[in-house]
Amino acid sequence: MKPISTQIKRKPWLGWMIFFGTIVVVFVLGLLASSILERRSEAAFAFTPQIQYSGLEPRNEIWGKNFPMQYQSYKKTSDTLFQSKYNGSATIDMLEVDPRLVVLWAGYGFSKDYNQGRGHSYAITDVRNTLRTGAPMEGEKSPMPNTCWACKSPDVPRLMNEVGVAEFYKGSWETKGHEVVNSIGCSDCHDANTMELRISRPALVEAFDRMGKDITKASHQEMRSLVCAQCHVEYYFNKNIEEGVPYLTFPWDNGFSAENMEDYYDQIEFSDWTHKLSKAPMLKAQHPGYETYMTGVHAARGVSCADCHMPFMSEGGQKYTDHHVQSPLNNVANSCQVCHRQETERLMQDVYERQDRIIGNRDKLEELLVRCHVEAKLAWDLGASDEQMSEILMDIRHAQWRWDYAAASHGGSFHSPVEISRVISTGIVTAQEGRIKLSRLLMKKGYTGEVPYPDISSKEKAQAFIGLDVKTLQSEKEVFLHSVVPGWEEKASARESGYPVRSLFD
Amino acid sequence: MIRLSGKLAPPPRWRVPVVIISGILAGLFFYLFYISRAYSYLSDDPSTCMNCHIMAPQYATWNHSSHREWANCNDCHVPHNNVFNKYYFKAKDGLRHATIFTLRNEPQVIFIKEEGKHVVQDNCLRCHADLLTDHKVMSYTTSYQHVRSERPCWDCHRETPHGRVNSISSVPYARVPVNGSPVPRWLKRLMKKEK
Repeated sequence: MKPISTQIKRKPWLGWMIFFGTIVVVFVLGLLASSILERRSEAAFAFTPQIQYSGLEPRNEIWGKNFPMQYQSYKKTSDTLFQSKYNGSATIDMLEVDPRLVVLWAGYGFSKDYNQGRGHSYAITDVRNTLRTGAPMEGEKSPMPNTCWACKSPDVPRLMNEVGVAEFYKGSWETKGHEVVNSIGCSDCHDANTMELRISRPALVEAFDRMGKDITKASHQEMRSLVCAQCHVEYYFNKNIEEGVPYLTFPWDNGFSAENMEDYYDQIEFSDWTHKLSKAPMLKAQHPGYETYMTGVHAARGVSCADCHMPFMSEGGQKYTDHHVQSPLNNVANSCQVCHRQETERLMQDVYERQDRIIGNRDKLEELLVRCHVEAKLAWDLGASDEQMSEILMDIRHAQWRWDYAAASHGGSFHSPVEISRVISTGIVTAQEGRIKLSRLLMKKGYTGEVPYPDISSKEKAQAFIGLDVKTLQSEKEVFLHSVVPGWEEKASARESGYPVRSLFD
Repeated sequence: MIRLSGKLAPPPRWRVPVVIISGILAGLFFYLFYISRAYSYLSDDPSTCMNCHIMAPQYATWNHSSHREWANCNDCHVPHNNVFNKYYFKAKDGLRHATIFTLRNEPQVIFIKEEGKHVVQDNCLRCHADLLTDHKVMSYTTSYQHVRSERPCWDCHRETPHGRVNSISSVPYARVPVNGSPVPRWLKRLMKKEK
């Protein structure tokens, strides 16, 4: 047979045949490749559980094997680089930024140490590090109860299930250090079997019960805020529910507003501590984020916490919730701009304008409160009686509660600017009422001048002013972190290694 | 022409491999044309825009709007002053979209670009010009020029036609025409038999 090139020379159609034949072969091979790729991608797109674990599994990384996208985004809560004008994801020493806080909280743990917290994945580290939990070593007890773990970890629902709710709260903080080791994560908000949102903390359910509401009737959209409301709310430790147990309770029986909760606390004559200078029976507002948010316009329009703090994402045609819980200011495009079509700068400006205006008045109230405490101390020193002081002390209690309600609500000045402004203005009125009574009393005692404002221009000066030795606390903490905490970790990982986790591919 | 092809033609010894290689290239080109549904871009069919799944919210919202009855995607989003400009703009915008989609560079919230805004506004006027030249309105709207012709229509008609929630995750469960399998039925049948 002649070589094919000579054949083509004689019959050009043969060349064309080869050309078109090749086209067809390549085209069909392409279709075959498509079919193969389709089969392969089916596996990648469908939800493919890798492992099976128990309903109370506290380790986030175990859940993460089945839900990689959610877990990867959750891991980003360890990022500390974002700083907004007033907050962000980095640790901020708030006592350094604003030393007046030291005086406002004199005699209470917060005057030792108060940091703007980091992301969810630091919950355990940060509660171990804070001076407020103390350095419980060698038989020494922490000044805080186990109730302080209640919001820190998915180990909490696990433990409550094992030992009971009241039993969990009982005892001082260090006694459960080896039990609570995983930071806030999956099982705090999700049911392990259905992945539905769930309420894992009894305090919220009990508060709803007392208000005559059934939390199991909440819609999915409401749940997208209620899971946050398990922790981002005002609470106190109720010692009257069970003997010797600081039982975590939300003071919502009369309503969510500053006045409602104030009434509630006044009725039961509760106080968090007695102020070191003024001896007023003080209230510490924790973080009424959910309560203040509910009075704002976004809540009124049905926007949930997760809509802005955990916006939806689409990757490769798959929709999921961004579990990098963070300030929407670090993610304006995915949160605000879904509904608001303005430029990012403009939207940030809207937030900062509200915060700036509110912090102006909050600062003023803070200064008035420092004056209240200092003037009340002087009145005591000049021999004022309990009876003369009682009304004044109630004014100080109420004014500082309202300041704290606004300050501790963190995002409150954006979530609900009108309500927060209102609360601060009532705080200013109450503080000034108290100071009028104080100046009358001081005059009666023969003191007519202005009571000098203390030099509290730095955290150190303020702490020295209230007579607090932080250096010792810090060095004890250092020893505690290096000697006690590693033991907790060891004990925990030994316990966790026995948890049932089964690969689905063996 | 004949002389040129004579010069370009490979020496006789190479002719067979060259024919095969150019056959492979042409085959791949047709395959790409088919798999990317490139032919569909010449049409005005809205499901063409669903070749990229991230357009699902735009398709779904349009499909639930009254504009569905009268206007397709191209009626609003490409210029209609002349046929050359129409296809020039379509090619330019389409290639940009295809590039972004292929590089997985799409933002979670898509905003229209300045040039696109002008095109849409012109197209609003193309159909709704009557609303701007109503003599009754002109007589009593003193700020006519500013209010009626300087602002884009959607400053007020914000829901038209795509609604106000704007994110590529906003309609995850909408029923939209997704690209079917490119594998022809006969091949599937054949593969099944083999198993």
